[in-house]
Amino acid sequence: MRVEEAVLPGVGRKFTITVSSGDRLVIVVHHSGKRELQYFEGPAEEPTAALDLTDEEARELGAILAGVLFHPEAVGDTQSKLGQKVIEWLRVLPGSPLVGKRVESLSLPEGAHLLAVDRPGAPLIPHPAPDTVLEVGDTLVVAGTREAVEALKRSL
Amino acid sequence: MMHPSVEAFTLAAGLLALGSALVHRLGFPPLPIYLLIGLLVGQRLPVEELEPLPSLGLLLLLFSVGLEFGPDRLREVSGKALRAGGYDALALPLGFGLGLLAGLDWRGAALLAGVIYASSSAVIVKLIVDLRRAANPESEVVLGILVLEDLVVALLLALLGGEGAWGLLGGLGLALLYLLFARFLGPVLVRFVETLSDELVLLLGAAFTAGTALLFHAVGASEGVGAFLAGVVAAALGLRERLESLFGPVRDLGVALFFLVVGAEALPLLQDLTPLGVGLTLLGLLLKLPLNHLGSARAGLSPKRRLYSAFYLVPRGEFNLVLGTLALAQGYPLVSQVAVLLVLLSIPLGALLIHQAPNLWGLFPKPRGKAAGASPRG
Repeated sequence: MRVEEAVLPGVGRKFTITVSSGDRLVIVVHHSGKRELQYFEGPAEEPTAALDLTDEEARELGAILAGVLFHPEAVGDTQSKLGQKVIEWLRVLPGSPLVGKRVESLSLPEGAHLLAVDRPGAPLIPHPAPDTVLEVGDTLVVAGTREAVEALKRSL
Repeated sequence: MMHPSVEAFTLAAGLLALGSALVHRLGFPPLPIYLLIGLLVGQRLPVEELEPLPSLGLLLLLFSVGLEFGPDRLREVSGKALRAGGYDALALPLGFGLGLLAGLDWRGAALLAGVIYASSSAVIVKLIVDLRRAANPESEVVLGILVLEDLVVALLLALLGGEGAWGLLGGLGLALLYLLFARFLGPVLVRFVETLSDELVLLLGAAFTAGTALLFHAVGASEGVGAFLAGVVAAALGLRERLESLFGPVRDLGVALFFLVVGAEALPLLQDLTPLGVGLTLLGLLLKLPLNHLGSARAGLSPKRRLYSAFYLVPRGEFNLVLGTLALAQGYPLVSQVAVLLVLLSIPLGALLIHQAPNLWGLFPKPRGKAAGASPRG
């Protein structure tokens, strides 16, 4: 994949992405936050398809493409690789030893950190306070070294 | 007791809204319509009552141009766009020659050269965004050319702005001071400016822009250059994105009113228009087309994109009106008429050409075989 970046004064920035098939994707990020996407088939001079996204839509799409929003229910566990560090989404299932536990009493392995708790129907709880009580259905967002996160998964 | 300007403002804003709504349906950019409305109803509209919004609109417009098209952009613009800008700049000596042929002295001829050379960044950017052409390859080249143009015209204005040796030195010295400030002191102050609240940035920015314009005016230079350089300094302070969003809505309102007023005030100025003025205007319109077509070819654009980019650079705007005001003040009514007539004609014509460019390209005879392969979708 080749990415070319160009400044468009007064408009924003333009990224031209050429993928291995030779097709191109041109993305213009406007100052207003709007994103303009155009898809070019091979050497074609006119785009085959065009799409406008608001800032919010673009961020959501970006998160999906980056694999951040990939929910664990669909294929089980999801890992996002950050070099030797990993991020893991762990669901609190009914009957899990975690149910009813306070965050402060979790015994996380050395090197593993609890980033957030995603509770269905509630806003995301970033940096959960020590007195947060875990419930069935919660998803724990855990980050750390691969060994520590694997150890935590086994202990559940 | 309500201020009488409220009535004038209501009328003007209502008319502009009506015009904008009309062309929005047709997918056509609204700027030419503002000019047209001004021409049509200008005589009956109390335009002086609208002040200071239109004047502020022009200053904020030039500020925005300085913010986005400042000299620091030269480093970011690709070499091919700058090469195309070189061809585009040939309009300056050609315009100067035209001015001398028309019987103007060197100062008048230089003003005319600027009028013919300066395409409008503000209008062209708006057209590119409104017509959703930002992703096209020619847009990058066109915007690069505009960076070069704005810098050259700002220098030209600083040179021609003042009367006599002192005016010239004052304008140039002040301009140099601002550029040096932007280059060396701006980056040092970025951290500090980041801590200021939006409210404070908005007010300080407004005071700085208007104050700089006043300062340049006081030393006998063009206040337009002052507003442009204020934008350059603000960009160096790392305020590009913040001020763009803070000033944007106020500027757009001011600019719409400004174009309305330009239309309204054009009629009296153009009443004693001579065939020479019309001839110079038409030559000015045509002169840049082949230059930019050639320049775009050198920038590596395909034949179709060359045509597009030549069309893009037709509209003249903010700098023409600044140059026109200056020409009138310095006793060159002919140059002033050409400047205003060029704006009135080139914005609608340019908008139409750019809008219809895909259809116009279809009319051009193309070398057989190659054309079919180059654009399979027409």
